[in-house]
Order: sequence, then structure tokens, then C-alpha cells
Amino acid sequence: MSFYLSTIAVYFCVDLLAAWALNMQFGWAGIPNFAFILTQAAGAYMYAVVALGPSGGLTAFQHYILGASLPFPLPLLVAAGAGGVVALALGLITLRPLRRDYQAAVFLLFAVIASDVVSADVGLFNGSNGLAAVPQPFSSLQTTLGLGGYQWLYAGFTAVICLGGLSLVRGLGGSGWQRALRAARDDEAGARALGVNPAVLRLQVFFIGGMLAGLSGGLLVGFISAWSPGAWEYSETFAILTGIILGGVSNNWGVFVGTFLVQIAFQELTALFLPQIGYPGLSDALVWVVIGVLWLLVIYFRPRGILPERRTRMSTLQPSTSPEMSDAD
Amino acid sequence: MPTETSNLSATQMPSAPVLAASDICVRYGGVEAVAGASLTIPTPQVVGLIGPNGAGKSSLLAAIGGQSRAASGRVTFDGEDVTQLPPHQRARRGILRTFQTASVFDGLTVFENLLVAGLGDQGSRLRGALLRTPALHARERATAARAARVLEEFEISHIADHYGRELSGGQRRLVEIARCLMRSPKLLLLDEPMVGVAPHLVERIGEHCRAICERSVAILIVEHSMEVIGSICDRVVVMASGEVIDDGSFASVMKGESVREAYLA
Amino acid sequence: MNSTILLQSIGFGITTAAVIAIGAMGFTLQLGVTNLLNLSFGNIMTLGAFASLIVERWHLGLVPTILAAPLVGAVASVLLARTLLAVFARRQNGAFELLMVTLAAGLIIEYTLDALAHLQVFQFQFPSGATVHLGPFVFTVLSLALIGAAALVLAALLAALHLTRLGKALRALSVDPKLARACGVPMRRMINLTWIVSGALAGLAGLVYVTNSLTISAGAGLNFLVLVIAAAILGGAGSPVGAVLAALVIGVATEVVAAFGGSYYSQAAGLAILALVLVLRPSTGMWSGPTRDEVTV
Ligand SMILES: Nc1ncnc2c1ncn2[C@@H]1O[C@H](COP(=O)(O)OP(=O)(O)OP(=O)(O)O)[C@@H](O)[C@H]1O
Ligand SMILES: [Mg+2]
Repeated sequence: MSFYLSTIAVYFCVDLLAAWALNMQFGWAGIPNFAFILTQAAGAYMYAVVALGPSGGLTAFQHYILGASLPFPLPLLVAAGAGGVVALALGLITLRPLRRDYQAAVFLLFAVIASDVVSADVGLFNGSNGLAAVPQPFSSLQTTLGLGGYQWLYAGFTAVICLGGLSLVRGLGGSGWQRALRAARDDEAGARALGVNPAVLRLQVFFIGGMLAGLSGGLLVGFISAWSPGAWEYSETFAILTGIILGGVSNNWGVFVGTFLVQIAFQELTALFLPQIGYPGLSDALVWVVIGVLWLLVIYFRPRGILPERRTRMSTLQPSTSPEMSDAD
Repeated sequence: MPTETSNLSATQMPSAPVLAASDICVRYGGVEAVAGASLTIPTPQVVGLIGPNGAGKSSLLAAIGGQSRAASGRVTFDGEDVTQLPPHQRARRGILRTFQTASVFDGLTVFENLLVAGLGDQGSRLRGALLRTPALHARERATAARAARVLEEFEISHIADHYGRELSGGQRRLVEIARCLMRSPKLLLLDEPMVGVAPHLVERIGEHCRAICERSVAILIVEHSMEVIGSICDRVVVMASGEVIDDGSFASVMKGESVREAYLA
Repeated sequence: MNSTILLQSIGFGITTAAVIAIGAMGFTLQLGVTNLLNLSFGNIMTLGAFASLIVERWHLGLVPTILAAPLVGAVASVLLARTLLAVFARRQNGAFELLMVTLAAGLIIEYTLDALAHLQVFQFQFPSGATVHLGPFVFTVLSLALIGAAALVLAALLAALHLTRLGKALRALSVDPKLARACGVPMRRMINLTWIVSGALAGLAGLVYVTNSLTISAGAGLNFLVLVIAAAILGGAGSPVGAVLAALVIGVATEVVAAFGGSYYSQAAGLAILALVLVLRPSTGMWSGPTRDEVTV
């Protein structure tokens, strides 16, 4: 039981980081980034290959690029960097003055094709079998703490990083940068006519979101030790998005609640505690059917989510002791 | 405080033109919306731009504001050639505008709408958002105070916390103009700011235009109502079929044949 | 490099293009008229392919096998439009919101099929006929039939769009729905017809896809959809000719890359072309961004 709980705690922190990152891009900037999961996958893969050691070394059964065995915090930084770079590359191609629905379709194309390429090209990240036996950080602690203790330690570490992510998201949340991003989301021409350059802001939000996603991927693979194309199908982005919309777009706590409900309460807990039905894999397929239905129900009945975006009141933005309220001219 | 509508040009000599647009052509595919129009505007002056539907007024505004690239011709602003600059660069230099269909950020409150404009490109940098320097804080406070003042001036303080999507047509127009003022424009382009606005607000917007002009801002206003044009403009420019066909005081333009012909054609 | 391989692969590419083109024409027709990017199109294609598979397993003969796919596709398509999409369109008809509805619908169809099919990949038997040498290219009878089918569909669509009153009404609808309605175009009927035709083409594309690949699984539609969307966007929304030309470019590119650069990157080549166009595209025509945001389903 404690074993399951610590596992779930790690998953939740990872999912939260990803969801807050996607919310920046989707909620604040209005970019329908259906290729979001690519940035998480990039982080996970890069973490794995710089932690696994040279290809064909200890784990001769798998092939991959690069291959290094960097000491612990470094693979995480590499993961974050990889996520940021992939997001930036993606953004440079897709963040064009294109209709939003076309843009969404183009992102989807990238997600699907990247998955095909990585599955097919065995030399890249060991194809559809994926990478396994990725060393866990400080695995020697497992003998002293026991597996359960080690899992809780990792969960604590992930939670700390997750809190760091939250403070970043909250800090950016009320900033002029974020406001300009939202303005450009609502009316691009209007924002440009006020001196805002949306192209730069969007690349920035892509880069930051990509870094957080890459970090989440690195944290995940450091925990589960394996990563393969099955873990990052396009529908994963859809699941994260369902959590965001259910909880409340552009509301950090809404995203928290929604992610918990969709990713943890629904996906993980049902997988762990409900009895297996039918043939193996049936319940997974049904989970996706239900997520599709859930999405439809949410956008029909509660499009603003459980906790809608909070209105920023003038009184909270104004200094309580206003310098001079008299006529200036 | 908005003053009586009085024509300034008699008392105050206009200085060097803040805007000089010469031989502007704007094309959309095969359509030539503006065909070699020229226009200069000195500060401070309120210039009315009139003409029948499809004359190319909005397109000329877009060429000046940078929303459409001029196919040929030059736009000089404040002595600098801005023809090749994208719209956000022109806005940073002081060309601000409103749109024929009012542009309000629907997911932002009215107050936030003003802040976006007031903080400008420097207040919306990522570095600032990450570092949160005291200088930025001071700037944000000052901008917020200023936004509160502008809201009061436009008598829309009571809707400061409303989202853009919750506003009426007239309120949207006022917010759009107020937003432009937050950026301290040198040239203000208004595209039919009175359309869909209740009569008492029309008068208010007109008063605001005069008041803005008195702060040494040049205004180019597109408007169909001759009554409004006559009451607030120092000068009237007439367009038809993409060309400027008349330019002068309201009285002289009204007397001329060209206007009647343009509207009857 | 090796010119025989190059010519070979171009030949394959034309066959692949025919497969993509049939789907892309249906997709683009529906996109042009309704202004909705229908992401469940690939799943309707899969439905059609499965329908043919079942009929083939029953040994009902070639003609029912061929007819099953377009029939099921047409029914599924119009059902989707009249039920789910109609319900959401009544509430909000932004193009993006409805696109998300089609994505959810596609997800539901895909995984329901997956659950029903016990996650299996099915083999599909279809006679491919003798090989035919046509100049430098080598085709099978089947692939010639596919190319012929694509050409036939294109000819039929063009004739219907440009020679009949119906086609004129459809084209009017795709330019300005409000004006078209005001001019007495029977909207409901026209739009339902569009869904039926595009659904039938989706089903046909599914059939054509399995005759070419000989396997089918619930997830097949997605990879096919990717190529179809790329062709439709590249060719310009609503233009069957554009869709066919774009399908040719993409089909030949995928096969040439497969022949020379390793098959892993064949699909990526199709996407690379789209990416290149997005980056370098001229700022005119449909590319210039939003035209109308309103969807009529
Ligand atoms: N984006 C566009 N694409 C194609 N043609 C356009 C576009 N915008 C304007 N036009 C055409 O250019 C011509 C001039 O249009 P413009 O909007 O500048 O006129 P206007 O004087 O502002 O008219 P109105 O008083 O109706 O606002 C018209 O014939 C119009 O149809
Ligand atoms: Mg106009």
C-alpha cells in the first residue's frame, strides 16, 4: 500500500508539472499544443541516454544515441534543456499566423509522426521497445533505506521540484509578460497595435513550458527506469488537457484538481484497484474511451471548469496608498 | 477635463508634420484598395477622413499603422521612415490605433486591458517577469495609478473589473480609446469609433478627441457622420476609390463638388 | 543515384498518392463546405476498412466487400454530424472548439474499435493481380485500379462541383454561408450531402488503404489521417485539385525517401514538406490566416 502511494505521489507531481506547463501554453497563450507530449518525451529520452552509459555497454540489448553516465542532477538538467530545445524547434515551425484549428492539426501531425519515427528507427532510442534499465539516482540508498523508503525519498524530491515549478508558474502568473501573452491570445492584431510582439512571447512560453515538460519527463524516467513510444502517444496530451479543462483553464489550483481527478483518481487508481476486466489491455482501451466522453461532457456542461479562472481585481493590482490621485494635468 | 469643442488651428500654429504618407498603394490580391493616396498630419490637429464605403479609408489606416504592408509609397513618422516596420514597432514609436470592429481583450478585465498598453513592451519582458526587480515594481505601480486615472477620466471606473467580453458596444469603444492613451500616443488613428455607440457616448467620445488633441496628439479619425466630423475636426480629407480627392477645412470641403460626386458615384 | 530505384519508388509513390488523394479529397471537400477540420475523419476511414474486412470474412464476394466501406463511412459520417457535432454546434460554433469535439469523437471511436477488436492487427486478403510494365514504371493491376479510382473520384467531384447546380450551391456555401442561405441555397440538405460524400470517400479511402497495406488495426486511421491532413492543408482547403497535387507530392516524397533514406523517415518526409511550406509560405490566399471562424455542420 505504501509502495503504491509513493508511486502515485511521484506520478502526481510529474503530471502536475506537465499540466502547469501545458496550461501556460494552452491557457495563457492559447496555443493548442497537441505535440506537448513530445517535449516531455524528449526530456525522458535524453535523461535516459545520458544516464545509461555508452550504447552497447552494460545494457548491450539496446541501442541509442549519445550514451553517457553523468552523475545525478546533471541528467535532469539535460532533460529540461532537451524539452526546451524541442519545444523551441517546434515553435519556430508552427507558431505562424495560422488559423488556430489548422495549428492544432499541425501539432497533431508532429506528435504522430515523431512517434512513428522514434518507433521505427531503432538506432535512435531503441525503437518501439524503448529504453530500459535506466539507473535510478542514488540507487545505493535502496539498500540502506529499503525500497519503500527510497520511493518516498524520490517522491519527496519530486514534490520539492514540483513546488519549485509552482512558484515559477505563480510568479509568472501575475506578470506583465503573462498579461501580454493573454492579450495576444484574445486579439493578436490588437496586441500588436499596442506594441506587443506576440511571436517572441510565444516562443518564450514554448521554451519555458518545454523545459518544465522535459524536467517532468526526466523525473519520471528516473523513477520508472524505462521509456518507450507507448508512454507518449498523442492521446497523452489529450489526457493532460482534459485535466486542465475539467479543473479550470488558467487557474493553477483548478489545474491541480483536474489533474488529480483525471490522471490520478481516474487513470492510476482505477488501474491499481479495480479488478482486471476482460482480456489484458481492455481496461486501458476503455479508459481512453471514457476520457473522450469526459472531455465532451466537460466542454458541454462546464467549459470553464470546476475552478474557473480568477478575475484579477483592480484593487489587488493597485498600491493601497496610491501616490497621487489628483489631476496630473 | 474635456473642453468645449473649439477649432484649435486658428489659435495654435501646427508644427512640422508628425505623419507624412506619400503615394500609398495597398493591394489585396487583385483589388487595389488604396491607389496612391498622400496625406500629411501636423501636431496638434484632428483630421477627419471621410468617403463612401469601400473608399479605402480603413486600408489607408492599416498602411499607416502597419497592419497592411503598403505595396508602394512611403510612411514617414516623426522624421523616420517606418514603411518597412511591423505594427508593434510602429506602436512603440507612438502610432496607436483603434479598429473598425473594436478590439478589446475579451479574457482580460478592463483594468488589465489598460495595463497591457501602459506597461508597454518593456513591462512585458520575460526577464522582468522572472527577476521582478524593484524598478519594475515601481513602474507597475505607476502604471496602475495612471490606468486608474484614465478610467476616471473616461468615467468607466465602475467597469474596471469587468471582463472584455462582458462589455457593451459603446463601452468597448471607450476602453479601446482609453487603452491607446495609456501608451502616450503621438498619432492616434480612430476607425469609426462612434459606430454602435449610444448617442450620449458619441458626444463624450468627441469631447475626448478634442481633449486628447490638446495634449499635442495628432488624430486621424474615420467617421461617416458629417455632424460629428464638423464638430470635432480641424480639417477633412475625402477619399474615393482609393484616392484622396479633397483636403481642406470642413466648410470648404462641404462646398466643393468632389464630395457630392464621390458619394453619388 | 540509382535511377531504376528512383523510378520504381516514384511508381510506388504514385500509388501511395492515389490512396492519400481519395481521403484528402473527401477531407478537403468537407473542410471547404463546413469550415470544420474533422479529426475523426481517420477513424471513419478505419470504420470503413473494418466493415469491408468483416464482409470479406463472410465471403460475400468482391462487390459487397468494396461497397461496404463507403457505405459504412457515409452513415458514420452523417450520424456524427447530425448528432454529436450538431449538439455542440448549437452551443458554440468556433472552429477550434468543434475541432476538439471531433478529436474526442475520434478517440472514442478508435478505442472502442480497439476494445472490440481485442487490440489485434488483422490481415486482409485482396487480389493484387499481375504486374504491369508501363514505360519505366512497374505497377500491379491493383495499384493501377487504385490510381484509376482516384482519378475517377477527382473527375466525378470536379464535374459535380462545376457542371451541376448542386455543385454551384456547394461552392457558394463554402465561400459565404450566410449569403448562400439568403440566396435560397438549401443549407441542411447541402451540408448533409457533404457529410455523406466525404464519409463515403473516407470509407473508400479505408478500403483502398487496406488493399494496399493488407493489414488493419484500430489505430491505422491516425497515421493515414496525418497524411490526409497534410495533403489537404498543403493543397488549400476546399480544393480537390490542390488535394490531389499535394497528395502526389507527399506520396512520391514518402516513397522516394523510403527507397533511399531508410523507411523510418518516409512519413516524416511528407511532414517535412508541410513544415517547409509553413515556414516559407507566401502570405497570400488561404494562408493569410483567419478568413471565417464560423462552422456550419
Ligand atoms: N482583407 C481584405 N481582403 C480583400 N479585400 C479587401 C480587404 N479589406 C478591404 N478590402 C477591399 O478593399 C476596398 C477598400 O476597403 P476599406 O475597408 O479600406 O474601405 P473603407 O473605406 O474603410 O470602407 P468602410 O467605410 O465600409 O469601412 C474594398 O473594396 C474592400 O472590399
Ligand atoms: Mg473601413
